[in-house]
Amino acid sequence: MTTATAAPPSASTDQPGWFVPLLLWRGLTAFLLVVALIGVLVRRGIVLDGPIRWTLIAALVAAVAGGGLAVRWTMQRVHSGRLAGFTIDFLLAVVFGFVALNRMDMFNGLDAVGEAFNGSVAWLGIVVLGWLVSGFADRGEQANANLKQVARWTMIGGLAVLTLSMGLLPGLLEFASRLVATNVLPLAILAIAAGAFARILWSDGAAKLFGTTQSQGETMDGMLFVAPNMLGFLAFFAGPLLVSLFISFTEWDGLTDATFVGFQHYIDLFSDDLFLRSLRNIVVFGAVAIPLAVIPALLLAALLNSKLPGMKFFRAVYFLPSIAGVVGVTLIWKQLFNSTVGYLNFIVLKLTEWFNSIFGSGIEAPQPQWISDDSIALISVIILFIWQQIGFNTVLFLAGMQGIDGTLYEAADIDGANPWHKFRNITVPMLRPTTVFVVATTTILALQLFNEPFILQSPSPPSGPGNSTLTPVVYLYQNAFQEFQIGYASAVAWALFILIFGVTLLYFRRGGDEGVLST
Amino acid sequence: MTATSTPPNVEEQARRAHRAKIIRNIIGRGGAYAVLIGFATAMLFPFLFMVASALKTPEDTFRYPPKIFPRTPATAQVDGADVELYSVEVPGEGLTTLYLAEQGVQAGLFAQLDDVETTVAWPLQLASDTGQTTTLEGETLPVYSVQLGTETVDLALVRNTAVGRFVAQDDPSVETFAVVRTAERAESIDPQWQNFNEIIELRDFDRSLTNTILVTILVVGGTLFTSITGGYAFSRVRFAGRDKIFVAYIGSIMIPFVVLIIPLFRLMVSLGWVNTLGSLVWPFVFNAYGTFLMRQFFVSIPKDLEEAAFIDGAKRWKILWTIFVPLSWPAIATLATFMFLYAWNSFIWPLVSINGANSEDFVLTIALQTLGGQAGEGPNLIFAAIVLSVIIPFTVFVLAQRYFVENVATSGIK
Repeated sequence: MTTATAAPPSASTDQPGWFVPLLLWRGLTAFLLVVALIGVLVRRGIVLDGPIRWTLIAALVAAVAGGGLAVRWTMQRVHSGRLAGFTIDFLLAVVFGFVALNRMDMFNGLDAVGEAFNGSVAWLGIVVLGWLVSGFADRGEQANANLKQVARWTMIGGLAVLTLSMGLLPGLLEFASRLVATNVLPLAILAIAAGAFARILWSDGAAKLFGTTQSQGETMDGMLFVAPNMLGFLAFFAGPLLVSLFISFTEWDGLTDATFVGFQHYIDLFSDDLFLRSLRNIVVFGAVAIPLAVIPALLLAALLNSKLPGMKFFRAVYFLPSIAGVVGVTLIWKQLFNSTVGYLNFIVLKLTEWFNSIFGSGIEAPQPQWISDDSIALISVIILFIWQQIGFNTVLFLAGMQGIDGTLYEAADIDGANPWHKFRNITVPMLRPTTVFVVATTTILALQLFNEPFILQSPSPPSGPGNSTLTPVVYLYQNAFQEFQIGYASAVAWALFILIFGVTLLYFRRGGDEGVLST
Repeated sequence: MTATSTPPNVEEQARRAHRAKIIRNIIGRGGAYAVLIGFATAMLFPFLFMVASALKTPEDTFRYPPKIFPRTPATAQVDGADVELYSVEVPGEGLTTLYLAEQGVQAGLFAQLDDVETTVAWPLQLASDTGQTTTLEGETLPVYSVQLGTETVDLALVRNTAVGRFVAQDDPSVETFAVVRTAERAESIDPQWQNFNEIIELRDFDRSLTNTILVTILVVGGTLFTSITGGYAFSRVRFAGRDKIFVAYIGSIMIPFVVLIIPLFRLMVSLGWVNTLGSLVWPFVFNAYGTFLMRQFFVSIPKDLEEAAFIDGAKRWKILWTIFVPLSWPAIATLATFMFLYAWNSFIWPLVSINGANSEDFVLTIALQTLGGQAGEGPNLIFAAIVLSVIIPFTVFVLAQRYFVENVATSGIK
């Protein structure tokens, strides 16, 4: 780098000291890629012999071609050489680094951290406190510089103690010993070398040497900025998604080899009574729960949108159920649903007695077995879902209403419209995009119903009494993780995905041009 | 409108209309508040029930009819000894709180001479045999003269029994007798704070709590990092295929997570990450929604700001962290709150990937589900655990309510 900047810019024959090592490295990486390709072609029996192996082969063929071309382009000193070399080195560093760290079990080091974290979590409180105080000191009318300094140093000190008490030093020693013990040293060296060459190719000196233009440089910047996100996206989202599609065409128990069965699973779905039952349950659930989670929310939002005092309080209260986790609230409701000592049946009893005392009737209070009666279990899930969802939808509607042009209401006031007319003729039509969004998200959530029946019915099977709370996701879970019918479960997943996708598309078609996807 | 010829009538009409409007307003507001309070009660009651139940004794949670406040049987100290307090009917004074002074007092169950159903258990000491007999429902019973408080009544002795002697704490002369087994214990409101200690010590629950904190911090931090860099690239750096990739990103937001569960779990198996906290963190720090959110915010930042920095020779990396990030606090806080809730409350993925019996790997949702599925623990401890699991989200919500609401508002509408 230093030699590059020291050299006169016009001397094209003058090359920096790293150029020859780079060329050698290019040759080495091209050779390694060829070896890897041959290795994959020769060796069989890699996990899921089909698509992963072919994807790997395709990627390696491309990499070998790229590696070869990179050698040639580097010798010619054109920008393509820099770009191809940088890409290869960056990816090699990431892949080698990842493999080395995973072999050293470093990604699971979190659990060790978790153990130490328990004793030192108090220090985290000090860090947060310092951060908050420094934030507040910065804000007020006169920024308090001294306080800010103190708070900042508290924060740094807390962080230092936190990392030390969590075992930074033993952790580093452990890292070093594993580096030696697990035979990953060659991999680690390759990763570091690739990283170093990527860094060299990234430098201004390399840009000058390879004659990179400004827009070409910008492309490299863009790739680098997107890289962390994009690599993770490919590894943990796009890749698994395609694998899932492939698995759905196979018969696989997760242990032995998968056999390709084509569309058989999808055909079987149509005659699978349990799957059809789960669809029926979810349709009944949606038909009842979605209107009841949306319409009251619209009315509540209209009330909250009036400028009466105390509305912020109510908004916060309505939002609480969507903040508390689903497991916690479901367990609370499980106790409320308890048929002998639960509050719900108690309230039903009291209301019936009150009704009887007013009208002199002799109605017997129903005391249903909310969770274990097969005709009622789904209703209890509906009640819970509505309770959780109403407040969230209210806040969504409220946000939409606050975006409506106030002059419309002023004009309506001049014309003498009453609140109901304003709601009916201004709010509802203007809120159409929001309504579409709310109904769509509620529907998508409803179609993926799993947590509520799973926790309510636990420790009984989540499919509920007489399969009355069997939903597609519950069915998927049972197939994949209890019956080990992984191929079939994937087909259930994709069938559900197609259903969700179709419903979403339908809503946004009907929602007109102002859908979410127009960005 | 019609009465231009009769001005006083118009005035009267206007006044009446005005008054009617005020009344309508009051009724309207009252109705609005009634509806709002009704729903607020429905939303809050389960949480009130949660806190109250967390402070109860196990028996108290199974009480019927249910009572909201935690109660325990009351005791008191009389002459240095612990005594049990009861709520007993004292003749002439109604229900009174008395202590149980003596048990097993020999007594008889006496019935009214004309009605065998109305009985009283009273010590034989305070009754004397009159020598007469009476016949009730075909049985011949001796008649006693019983001293009930101040009055003396003739009653038939049905059978012998035992009663307790109940005495007032402040006035030993106030005493009465009742069958101990059926007497109602007096209760006092007595929150069981030690429930929280018990649940924390039970099966690594503290470990679940800190694991959850750790996972949440890493997911939020990691997502912010990848979303900020990705969002910056998609909004400010021009490169080939950028917009097509971005459309693919947005499209991926629509794909439900359930499609990914199986392949992601297989991936965790082949990487050896099953039953580790890493499986809860690494797959979730790359987030299309976050990238989308940050990109939309960065697009709205004026270009002049960064161009000035470019002229000064600053690199993109530095521009991103010194110009864009400080300007984007609202979007960052919004994304952080969203990811916080997601990581803290996620259930189905930990259920799949942390499926071992080793509770050291548990996060709160799994610990709660395990607790809730076991009949062994009393509901009071489960409720204490729920309180601990919601206390941090609720605190964060109170501190950063604006961003939660903002997140909802921006998640789909704009």
